[in-house]
Amino acid sequence: MSTEKPEIVKLQSVASLRKTMDDYFLRLKTAVDTGNKKIAWCTSVGPAELLYAMGFEVYFPENHGAMLGAGKVADKYIPTAVAQGYSPEICSYLTADIGAFLQNETPLQKMGFASVPKPDVLVYNTNQCHEVGDWFMYYANHFNVPIIGINTPLWISDLTPSIVTGIANQFKDLIPALEKVTGQKFDLEKFRETVALSHEGCVLWRKVLETGKHKPSPINFFDAAIHMGPIVVMRGTHYAVDYYKILLAELEERVKNNISAVPKERFRIYWDGMPLWYKLSSMAKLFSSLDTCIVASTYCNSWVFDDLDPKDPFESSAIAYCKLFIVRSDDAKQEVLEKLMKEFSIDGMIYHDAKTCSRNSNNRFGLQNRLNDKNNIPFLEINGDLCDSRCYSEEQSIIAIETFIKQLSTRK
Amino acid sequence: MYKVGIDLGSSYTKGVIVDEQNKILDYHLTKTGFDFNKATQKIIDKFSSKYKIEYPVYTCGYGRDELKIPFVSNSEIIALSRAVFEVYKKKCSIIDIGGQDTKYVTINDLGQVEKFKMNRKCAAGTGSFIEEIAFRLDISAEDFNLLAERASEETKINSYCTVFAVSEIVGMIKKGSTMPNIILGIYNSIIERSIELSPVKDFLVLTGGIPDNHPMIVKLFQKKFANCVSPQKSQFFAAYGCVLLNK
Repeated sequence: MSTEKPEIVKLQSVASLRKTMDDYFLRLKTAVDTGNKKIAWCTSVGPAELLYAMGFEVYFPENHGAMLGAGKVADKYIPTAVAQGYSPEICSYLTADIGAFLQNETPLQKMGFASVPKPDVLVYNTNQCHEVGDWFMYYANHFNVPIIGINTPLWISDLTPSIVTGIANQFKDLIPALEKVTGQKFDLEKFRETVALSHEGCVLWRKVLETGKHKPSPINFFDAAIHMGPIVVMRGTHYAVDYYKILLAELEERVKNNISAVPKERFRIYWDGMPLWYKLSSMAKLFSSLDTCIVASTYCNSWVFDDLDPKDPFESSAIAYCKLFIVRSDDAKQEVLEKLMKEFSIDGMIYHDAKTCSRNSNNRFGLQNRLNDKNNIPFLEINGDLCDSRCYSEEQSIIAIETFIKQLSTRK
Repeated sequence: MYKVGIDLGSSYTKGVIVDEQNKILDYHLTKTGFDFNKATQKIIDKFSSKYKIEYPVYTCGYGRDELKIPFVSNSEIIALSRAVFEVYKKKCSIIDIGGQDTKYVTINDLGQVEKFKMNRKCAAGTGSFIEEIAFRLDISAEDFNLLAERASEETKINSYCTVFAVSEIVGMIKKGSTMPNIILGIYNSIIERSIELSPVKDFLVLTGGIPDNHPMIVKLFQKKFANCVSPQKSQFFAAYGCVLLNK
């Protein structure tokens, strides 16, 4: 094994990212403090564009869950939610978030919030999972505020017109309830503008991720998992667009000058599944020490909603949010993975089987074997979790990862 | 001067000393405990009383990078595969059952790892499963094998979880199951956990402390898979492979 100190080549855009995220939270705090805007809570792949178009400040509990994970405090809160009857086997974003709420603690307190921002309405989309509905229901009951949402069919193979029309209608059906909360009429033109901004942001984000096709890759999964913040929480705003222009420019410059995220990139990996938020930094160092760059991932690609089209904002929203990887059948998922593996010149595939997120663990129905039979690209499965570090055996995983890279080296 | 390979496992540290012709001259095994350096020193002391040791030593296992003496570390799975290929020189599947890990590996005609998988973060299917049950039932791990030989039929153990398996066993004792039949069930449960890692297709080589110390498990594997062997002292294979990888 390499004894050299692992090196991470940091992106300069981090400072702009920090400011973009700080400003986002400041806008939320202003809404809390002054009541200048209503606050909607939204699932991470929920109808953010509609909410921004209707004048809400939008708060994303999943982003909060990831903050708890990355801050390595989720384990402190999960047992509190478990004691309230939430199983340790359900989404650990949910259990960490509710546990933190019950303990009246949040990383947002460092930014001057007293607590998480009180919602005026909770809006979900079950395209990712139904657990978000149960999660939001807790807060709807607690705050006695309306909960509305889009119920997307699961396991979509062909995106048929009937599915698209049904979901587009569900988007429209949200409007009266949202108008009631804001007291203002829905403005179609404003929605078109927001959808256009979301499309622009998503295309920029896609281009950011696509720089990883270059050899060597200027970006790795661990960078992308951090820099995805704006596309998750500011999709549909110019803030996300402005930020990704900065990030893309830096990455294109890196491509031009052959600057790589991992100094000596020898192996190119695709990561399927959630990040282990509490291990981002140590994993980045581990892979770097193995001259390995994780150049693409299912997770970061999940926020590329480039089907959004301001000409037909409802239908295109339905298409974009139903094309989401997580809601597709394994056949459709396999097609996406095959394409990405080819485009990004992948040497090996790592599947993170997250104990508390079955929907984001794509190795549970034989997909990994079918893909391997077809493209003969080796794969590794790692057991862990997004937030609950108790589900992860670091020593065993390091041995597995080191062995996997050795295995790949025999094929070079 | 002879090369030394050391596998610093979770339960035991295994060492071999190897001559120029890749022949193992001696073996030594000691409990790992909490001090990898102390366990390694015991191995070094044992060998150095008879042989002149060449440094660095070659390591693998959980403590592979923790030594104060000069060492070169390796992946235990790659090392194990290398040793198995040295002995059998053909493509095969390997199931290695150790203290905390069970590993499934396939190697190709060139001895390269084609695929591998490790047990989930759970003791079921590993040596710890036997150790825990032996402790709870107050039977020595060594007596396990003798008892299983006397089984008339298997009492099936359903639980994945070591702790629940113990409760299940207590229930079986109450219902009149005999200890030999229960132990046969425990062995079969370990086999089931290990073969669910991946389908066994080729020539199967069993390695690790469990096959070495529980020959009944090897017999049971051989009942299921005709083309199955377990070489002697197979728990030293990874240590041996470390040396072979660095020849």
